[in-house]
Amino acid sequence: MKNLIRSLFIFALFTACNGEETVLISYENPELELEVPFGFPEFNNSVYTNKPTKYGVALGEKLFHDTRLSADNTISCASCHIQEHAFADRNGKGVGIESRIGLRNTPPVQNMAFMKVFNWDGNIRVLENQPLVPIITHFEMDSSILEVIGKLEEDPEYMELFNKAFNGEGITADGIFNSIAQFEYTLISANSKYDKVKRNEGETFTEAEALGYQVFQDKCVSCHSTELFTDLSFRNIGFPLNPDDEEAGRSRVTGLAEDFMRFRVPSLRNIAHTAPYGSFGQFETLRAVLDYLSNGVLEADNLDPILKENNNRIPLSEAEKDQLIAFMHTLSDSEFIGK
Amino acid sequence: MKTQTIKNFKKYLLLPAIALAFVSCSDDDVPVANNVTLEFNNTFQGETIVLGDAASTEATTNTSAEGQIHHFSELKYVISNIRLIKENGTEIPYNVNNLDKGATVVDQSKAETLKYVLNAIPTDDYNQIIFGLGVKTSLNDLDQVSFPEFYAATGENDTEMHWEWGTGYRFTKIEGFYDTDNKALSFHSGSTLEGTKDDESTYVPGFDAYREITLVFPAMAKVGERSPKIVIEADFDYLLSGKTNTILLDDKNATPSAHTSVSMSQYVDNIGGDGSSDSTGMFSISHVEN
Repeated sequence: MKNLIRSLFIFALFTACNGEETVLISYENPELELEVPFGFPEFNNSVYTNKPTKYGVALGEKLFHDTRLSADNTISCASCHIQEHAFADRNGKGVGIESRIGLRNTPPVQNMAFMKVFNWDGNIRVLENQPLVPIITHFEMDSSILEVIGKLEEDPEYMELFNKAFNGEGITADGIFNSIAQFEYTLISANSKYDKVKRNEGETFTEAEALGYQVFQDKCVSCHSTELFTDLSFRNIGFPLNPDDEEAGRSRVTGLAEDFMRFRVPSLRNIAHTAPYGSFGQFETLRAVLDYLSNGVLEADNLDPILKENNNRIPLSEAEKDQLIAFMHTLSDSEFIGK
Repeated sequence: MKTQTIKNFKKYLLLPAIALAFVSCSDDDVPVANNVTLEFNNTFQGETIVLGDAASTEATTNTSAEGQIHHFSELKYVISNIRLIKENGTEIPYNVNNLDKGATVVDQSKAETLKYVLNAIPTDDYNQIIFGLGVKTSLNDLDQVSFPEFYAATGENDTEMHWEWGTGYRFTKIEGFYDTDNKALSFHSGSTLEGTKDDESTYVPGFDAYREITLVFPAMAKVGERSPKIVIEADFDYLLSGKTNTILLDDKNATPSAHTSVSMSQYVDNIGGDGSSDSTGMFSISHVEN
């Protein structure tokens, strides 16, 4: 059907050409070269089907920072996804227009090009499907895609940028979703001290950092694995429960009892800059997270087997906690967070 | 430019139909098509439901198989993907891929939503109806650009049938109270299913509450000179006391977390059928008026 319409459209174009002069504008919009950093997994499929382009990314970045995406023009994506916090924020739970409080902690937007599943409960697999959610959610931007398109159409700059980014197609919903995803694909954090040590670029761990790396490999890496520092699995690790009765973790998506209060393992990259921690910001500091894991977590039928086998704990000495925190600080990418 | 072309294209598609209409009309006086009205009667065991808040004395109450008294303050569900079946088995689909023209929200608090008129159904005798309770996966993506009217109707503040985080519609929304102390009862259904099962990069596994209901008419609906009315009863006694599941409400399954756990499927199978052996759920045809 789509092809038929396209053919008819082309036919119509040719017909029009007979009667009058038609100027076909061609848009030059080079694809950007994205590289998979040393040791990182492959890009996810959507990076290939929605390849970041010069103008697509520029448009996505502009939209990401545009408050017109919200009903009352007060917040943009960047209001909660703040660069200096690895595109997360400092609130326990997300804060939308009119100070409405959401359900969960704002996830950092980094290394999205390598993620296979998004958000704490994995309700999104294709990043292009995500931007609509905050736009329409009551406690986020509380707008609608047609309302947003209406506002953008009043701005000639956008018309030009959409045309450049998507070959003259004008302002469309897909253009909004695809360009924001393209911009997010370019947010790659792979220049931390850890990366430089790994790549033998002349940096070395301090003694505490090196000891922390050892503890990390002994006690953390089974979940925080790969260069993304997450295996992207969903686990119940017995953190204090969100009292909001909307919350059920992964089972909100799958409907399975076994997924109750399971959440996606968070990446540890730039973790020193994304406090507070936990699905609704239960912990103010990394120390508090480690204290909790060491002291013992909440019992649950589906508690992660690794914790179950260890009396619901990951025992850590005070020295080990210091060392782990020192190591986690080596995952901060000052270039990425802009300071 | 593009939309204009599509519109014109649709116009051309209509031409033969219009031509055909004129040809047929010249033969006799029976119109080629007429309307069919679907009327939804939402009941507890046959008694039309009156909604009410926690302390209401007017609200219709019902007692479940487990002996729990309950009543509703809100009752809404989506009907879509409607097909009328002729005696010879031919299906006449009614705008099944257009939510603006072929889907509706039945809302017990709004009398006008209890009747849904199917326009221009071809003249013939019909003996069955099939419809979806909810929205099928391929259309369940909150696409405001394609279906602005249905998006608006489901998104209104007093309707709240958008399931934003799942980028789909709520298929059923019931709010109410149970037990003599009127504890909150809240049931929302929908689908989180997305993508293709064979393609892991797109597939979001999920529970799909969409159900297709098949109802056989007790008497033929004769469309032509007359425009029949089909009265469909939805007996919400089935919600807790269904053919497959008897549900005892407690603090774990009676509030919105119900839609997050396995219990959601029990409610859904009760009202919408289990998708295999039971294809009627809580629905039945009261009568057909020709």
